[in-house]
Amino acid sequence: MATISQNEGSNMQQIDLMKLNIQQLSQLKQQLDSELTIFQDSLATLKMAKGKFAASKESLEQFKEGFDQKTTLIPLTGSMYVPGRIKDIENVIIDIGTGYYVEKDRDSAKDYFKRKVDFVGEQIEKIEILGYEKSQIRDAICEVISVKLQQMKAQLPQES
Amino acid sequence: MDTQAAQIQKKLQIELDSFKATQKEYSKLVQQRQQLDGQLNENQNVLEEMNILAEDKNTVYKLIGPILVKQSLTESKQNVSKRIDYISKELQKCNDRLTTIEKEQDKHRENLGKLQQQLSVISAMK
Repeated sequence: MATISQNEGSNMQQIDLMKLNIQQLSQLKQQLDSELTIFQDSLATLKMAKGKFAASKESLEQFKEGFDQKTTLIPLTGSMYVPGRIKDIENVIIDIGTGYYVEKDRDSAKDYFKRKVDFVGEQIEKIEILGYEKSQIRDAICEVISVKLQQMKAQLPQES
Repeated sequence: MDTQAAQIQKKLQIELDSFKATQKEYSKLVQQRQQLDGQLNENQNVLEEMNILAEDKNTVYKLIGPILVKQSLTESKQNVSKRIDYISKELQKCNDRLTTIEKEQDKHRENLGKLQQQLSVISAMK
């Protein structure tokens, strides 16, 4: 009845949960629990990364024509600003990772952040699906454990 | 009889110690693999991004300490490709080592089971 498919890497494993004993089941549950925590952690990290990319894109969109004529306040520290003017509003320098930075014009910079946001979003979706599957398996295991426990309880008075 | 039991006990202890050692190395390697995997991913992303760039349109800088130094696009691409090659090789090494350790662990586990069985047989005979 409680047959689930567990996707471990490339090899699909079919395990009949009812055939496992309680010890094996709780071990499996523990394993799934730790996997779920890892998923949760990476989801949080990915969401943070997505937020950062989105914020960069947002601030790029604030750049409008004629902005180079206006005075801006440049933050030196969190609480101190000096007036300044942006010399070049057409180009920005972006950190693309591993210590490399690239100068891009505004439109391609926006495009870069859009791509990054989409990419991270895709990864988040993938992990969410995987996490959902894992939590379902976990629920199934919990159910089987409680069924087994009840069976054991029912058997006890007969033996004694 | 007791000496026999003690001997097996001793063997068991040795086996257990080496099993624990392999376990330790295993988890260390898994961690290492994770790190390498992350680095590989990051470098691949960077290379992908560089492949979209044009030499005459975009300037590439490299962060050296706190300063940005101008780099040519082709050179940067080569550099990142080289890194990817290196990391892939390291990853392969790591994976190979992991499979051998897995085999070793299985062997240890088997030996441990056998020794335990022997021990229980001896204690049952007493």
